Amino acid sequence: MFRISHILMATAAAALLLAPQANAQTRLSAEQAMAAARAVQAYAKDDGSDPSTVVLDANGDIVLQLKGNNAAPHNIGLAERKAYTANLFKMKSIEWRDASMPGKDRASERQMPKVIPLGGGVPIMVGNEVIGAVGVSGTRGGQEGDTAGAQAGADAAAKLAQGRPVAQN
Amino acid sequence: MEKLVRGFALVAFGAFVVGAGYGLVQQMVKISTLQSLSNNDISVEQALMVAEGAIDACKKDNSVISVAVVDRNGMVRFLLRGDGASPEMADNARKKAYTARTFRQNVSTWMERTAIDAKDDKGKPIDLNGQQYLENTLAEPGGVPIVRYADAIGGIGVTGAKGGPMADEACAQAGVDAIADQLL
Repeated sequence: MFRISHILMATAAAALLLAPQANAQTRLSAEQAMAAARAVQAYAKDDGSDPSTVVLDANGDIVLQLKGNNAAPHNIGLAERKAYTANLFKMKSIEWRDASMPGKDRASERQMPKVIPLGGGVPIMVGNEVIGAVGVSGTRGGQEGDTAGAQAGADAAAKLAQGRPVAQN
Repeated sequence: MEKLVRGFALVAFGAFVVGAGYGLVQQMVKISTLQSLSNNDISVEQALMVAEGAIDACKKDNSVISVAVVDRNGMVRFLLRGDGASPEMADNARKKAYTARTFRQNVSTWMERTAIDAKDDKGKPIDLNGQQYLENTLAEPGGVPIVRYADAIGGIGVTGAKGGPMADEACAQAGVDAIADQLL
């Protein structure tokens, strides 16, 4: 009797532990978003630039936004659209830009709302899963520089997800 | 002959001094009359420190908060949606920050001043309740202005503290305190 109750309790505890994890693993945390923003700022310091950054979750909703000290009026909105593009197509926005060039098969995707064929958006990958994206606008290196800054942010966010169990496709 | 050269050099030098002085005065007049504005504003690094100060203060009772920091124009410098919070919660944090910035006082203080029955020191009705109808304002405590030399350079707004709106305001104040040495 004593043993059976122990087994039941252990089973219940295991179920409780596993259930919320299944939900939590796909959700980008505020802590991860903060780590991404800090990493982009570190990149900007080396770069000598003043970028604006947006971090979106997998739904495309804003988790974090940070406007540069001397940001041009378009920077923050552009950072969001770059992140939105990377999250939607599950690839760097610079790669989707090249894949959707006029004349190519995917060209019509450029008609979709909110996407932008410009480099600077990078998905946050945990295993094969996209849990959100980082968008950067305003570094020194143009679209390649913005992509490198966003990559630094996405890497920092993904790193914090390591150690957690992640569903593989 | 030597005297002549010396005299000529003196005249040339004098002309140079007069010309340079004239140019300098002209430049000074230009600067004092045509200078563009240069205002203090909360920086990216300061905004991150303020936000982290508020988050740390609210961690004491395991509160998960959303934080907004607005600049001197009331525009978002920094915004962070807390885990599990709705986008509306993050936007309410922005509104609190905006309200504190634009009225240069804690939102709780502003609410007392703009209450329907608010009265001044002499018991005379203040009648500022109309301010609560301005767009982007929110009459809920949790917003604190960021003030440097009596100049509001930004504001912070917090939502989601377990203790309710007044606890939001305490966390917001802790955030501003984190850069107190830079606001002297």
